Amino acid sequence: MSNTQPTGKKVNKKPSQIMNFLGSMNLAVTLLVMLSIASVIGTVLQQNQSFQDYIIKFGPFWTEVFNSLGLFQVYGAAWFILVLVFLLISTSVCVARNGPGFMKDMKQFSEKLSQTAIKHQTNNRQFNTDISLDDQQKVAQLVLEKHGYKTKIHQRDDGSVTVAGLKGSWNRLGYIFTHISIIVICLGALLDSNLLLKYRELTGDLIPETRTVSLDQIPKTSWVGDENISFRGTVNIAEDQKSDVLFLPYDNGFLVQQLPFSIVNKDFRIQYYDTGMPKTYESDLELYIPGREEPIRQTIEVNKPLYFENYAIYQSSFSDGGTKLKLNVHPLLAPVVAPLELDTAINKVEPLKTAHGKFRLELDDFRNFNMVPMTEEEKAATGRKFHNNGPTITFKVRNEQGKAWEYENYVMANKQEGRYFFMTGVRQSAAEEFRYLFIPADAKRSKERFFKFLAILNNPQRVSRIFQEQYPFTEDMDQRTYALQLRLVEQLMTVFRRSGFAGLTQFIQTNVPKEEQEKVSDYYFTQTTFALQSAYMALLREEGVVKSIQDEISDFDKTWFEDALTVISSLSKYGPPMYFEIDSFQQVQATGLQITKSPGKDIVYFGSTMLIIGVFFMFYVRQRRFWVNIKPENEKLELTLAAKDNKNLPETKTEFEKISNQIQTVSKQA
Amino acid sequence: MQTQTIMDSIQEEKKPYTLKDFVWIAFVVLGSIFAYTQYSSLMDVYEVGILIGTAASMIWLGRFWPSLMTMSYWVAGMSLLALWTYSSHGNVIETKETAFFLKFLVSSESAIMWMSALFVLATATYFLALFNKSEFTYKTATTMVWAAVTFGLVGMMVRWRESYIINFDYGHIPVSSLYEVFILFAVLTGLIYLYYEVKYNAKALGGFVMLVISASVAFLLWYHFDRGAHEIQPLVPALKSYWMKIHVPANFVGYGSFAIAAMIGVAYLITSKALQKNPNSAFAAKMPSLEVMDDLMYKTIALGFAFFTIATVLGAMWAAEAWGGYWSWDPKETWALIVWLNYAAWLHIRMSKGWRGNPMAWWAFVGLLITTFAFLGVNMFLSGLHSYGEL
Ligand code: HEM
Repeated sequence: MSNTQPTGKKVNKKPSQIMNFLGSMNLAVTLLVMLSIASVIGTVLQQNQSFQDYIIKFGPFWTEVFNSLGLFQVYGAAWFILVLVFLLISTSVCVARNGPGFMKDMKQFSEKLSQTAIKHQTNNRQFNTDISLDDQQKVAQLVLEKHGYKTKIHQRDDGSVTVAGLKGSWNRLGYIFTHISIIVICLGALLDSNLLLKYRELTGDLIPETRTVSLDQIPKTSWVGDENISFRGTVNIAEDQKSDVLFLPYDNGFLVQQLPFSIVNKDFRIQYYDTGMPKTYESDLELYIPGREEPIRQTIEVNKPLYFENYAIYQSSFSDGGTKLKLNVHPLLAPVVAPLELDTAINKVEPLKTAHGKFRLELDDFRNFNMVPMTEEEKAATGRKFHNNGPTITFKVRNEQGKAWEYENYVMANKQEGRYFFMTGVRQSAAEEFRYLFIPADAKRSKERFFKFLAILNNPQRVSRIFQEQYPFTEDMDQRTYALQLRLVEQLMTVFRRSGFAGLTQFIQTNVPKEEQEKVSDYYFTQTTFALQSAYMALLREEGVVKSIQDEISDFDKTWFEDALTVISSLSKYGPPMYFEIDSFQQVQATGLQITKSPGKDIVYFGSTMLIIGVFFMFYVRQRRFWVNIKPENEKLELTLAAKDNKNLPETKTEFEKISNQIQTVSKQA
Repeated sequence: MQTQTIMDSIQEEKKPYTLKDFVWIAFVVLGSIFAYTQYSSLMDVYEVGILIGTAASMIWLGRFWPSLMTMSYWVAGMSLLALWTYSSHGNVIETKETAFFLKFLVSSESAIMWMSALFVLATATYFLALFNKSEFTYKTATTMVWAAVTFGLVGMMVRWRESYIINFDYGHIPVSSLYEVFILFAVLTGLIYLYYEVKYNAKALGGFVMLVISASVAFLLWYHFDRGAHEIQPLVPALKSYWMKIHVPANFVGYGSFAIAAMIGVAYLITSKALQKNPNSAFAAKMPSLEVMDDLMYKTIALGFAFFTIATVLGAMWAAEAWGGYWSWDPKETWALIVWLNYAAWLHIRMSKGWRGNPMAWWAFVGLLITTFAFLGVNMFLSGLHSYGEL
């Protein structure tokens, strides 16, 4: 048995079967492969979704199977942790068994290797020289040292001398470093894991909260305090507000972590690129720590967190922090312009009692910018690639049955095809795209005229009266026909307001015999248009834009009329009959913080550094040995040279040839 | 005998410093100082550190592999030509359409087109050389790869500058989008291959390695023309960090090396099949010996593994700073771990069982598929924190 084999089995101490198994490379590779497969599953199967989603995707049977295998939370599943633990044990056993041998091997020159063994190394050579033994020994030693070998001389009983060289023993250190680093990293990660919480959950001491309720309604069983040595959670803090809790995502819900300090968000700032994408965002924070006079003040931004003791506070996101809003709620069916004024804020829910039922207004979000790409012509004209459409709010209106319409309203009028419009989008589920209404702006770029016009149309009798004013009864008319016509106008207006032009068509289809439909339709549409025009003229006269109905109206007013009719005709598809106008707003932003306590981090970093150093030692330092056995034989010296590398590479041979040649030539010259 | 005489008679081992080396050192030092004086207002202390580190590694690398010196002179010269052209036209991006040199040679788009064309040509030329056994053809192919790498690097340098010209706010090192890292991949793979080609006289492997690069070039062109991915986009705040400058390149040394290992694996499998059919196979005679290929496979995987380890650790540290946790089981992170575990297993099996040859070659090839998924597939099919370069 050669003692160059560090892993060589010692005959006297037989390791047990179990240890053999645990420390075996087969187990190591199996575990590595198992970890990989588990990781693949974790990425392919979306983790931590709601149960309903899984059932839709996989059906109840497979959902049950997958769930019992822990596949929806692979990285927290017991078997996954078990694989990790086994890897830890396996690596530890491996290091414990191989480590000491490797350490010894680092210092071992193997100078006592038998002459036959030297002769039988893969790389070997023999030749004779005729210089003195001393000189020969010196030559061998110097050449090896020149190549960076450490040497050791061994005097043998038969009078021969062995010069043994050793180089690159750090390779062995590399092995030890790499494998110990795996252990260190796993331990660090374990320290940062939520094992403690898992344990408390098992004992029934901890129940994650799954509802969205306010803080004071969350039961104590969902709170964790100081005893939690490591966590990672998030909290949103509006400007000038403070928080001393953190929300930790857990299973399908969350836990509330009590912090030993409170954080005040003094100011939040955000800058945008010209594309409307956030460029940088930062928060001025104050950290109030009990027992300290002065708070810690620091500005944090993405990639620049605040570190305090074991805690780290990161800028991770931002959101609306309850922007204050003044809204005018316009009832869309009222015969007068009488908006309800509402003082509210984002994130609030407002009850609304209307003539058409009770609703809940849920104010979801406010955005200060909405950037849209410009068209090629606009780009050429302005030199800018993006255009800001101004602020929007998004909100939902929910009826008593729980059905909700979601809206997106722009605060300012935006230019479309040369005209200005107030856009308002509506949809009935998040999966749909918003469909927009374009409310035309009047000359003052407001919605005033629109609501006035709408109010008139909402009062069919009034339209009919206006019609009557503009087309008074004359002698040549039939009294009855005239009265009928006025009634018709009223009726047509009612239908139009209820369901637009489309409604009119449908009204004709259901109420008029087939053969007369075409004729009636023509007549009805003419009458409707007539009535609408009269209403509009009356409004224009009221505004003082025209003096009499004979006046020519401007192109602007003409297109305004058409645009307004397009909107009013489709109002019926707009959901509950209300329009929410943003009168004014005062933006309040909230910073999204991520806070961690991670005692294992430095341990993991330490392990990672060891790992990197170890890997380089292992790959780029080769442990090499060289033997020169010098045996006096009939006045001459018989030299046996051999080399061994812990990895047999092509270089080993070339190097051996080179060093041997040098020893040979130098010896000849001497 | 005197010690001195013995020593003298042994050939000098250490490479002496020649004039060429001094010129090189002066070039790198002056270049770095120039970069510092020009751009120090844009750097934080870590970035100054990275600059110094880059300069030191370049000095070392240049002496370690002198061909890099020549290439760097070309890259510097052409990049400066581009920068100078831009600045003499008032630093507006439209110059790239009007100024002759920019339009046809060194604007980032043109340089990248040159790189693409040269890599594809080199692929064909290597296979031609394999076929006609001509030394000259091989030389031409190698030169093409050098030129392609040079153009690729010029493209990246100029793109870096262009990002500031387009909009000062957008400025960033071009290793942030999928488009940009594909260029980096092609360049680094090309360079690593060139190193092994010279050192192990492995030019017969050129065609095989260039196949992966050509594939990445094909993707790059599709991505450019079909998706307009070459448009320079601003960075999301999370990417605005000095970490990007070290994490991404380290990653791509890893990816590049793994790709080369896989293609050597393919060459190995074909050769060994040919030898199986006919021990005197003419094809096999043109290829490096199976031992050399096996060894090269090990060497490239070892290099890749070492750099991939660094990259993953750096990535974890960056994640800790940007997302608040060093490990979140984000798909990209997880796949990096899978790639890493896969090669760790490869190395262990080779080490312990002494497996060589066909199975390891197959495994190296499968390794590339896994790597490709980690690199591309994750962006295409899985979403997560890393979804910057979505397709
Ligand atoms: C995640 C876990 C592990 C990783 C990442 C890892 C990594 C490595 C690497 C990269 C090498 C170098 C291979 C080469 O030089 O080509 C190596 C070698 C080795 N590993 Fe592991 N290893 C791990 C676990 C284990 C375990 C559990 C064992 C126990 C059986 C083990 C035993 C060995 C041995 C004996 C060597 C060869 C050392 C030598 O002779 O130079 N490793 N390991």
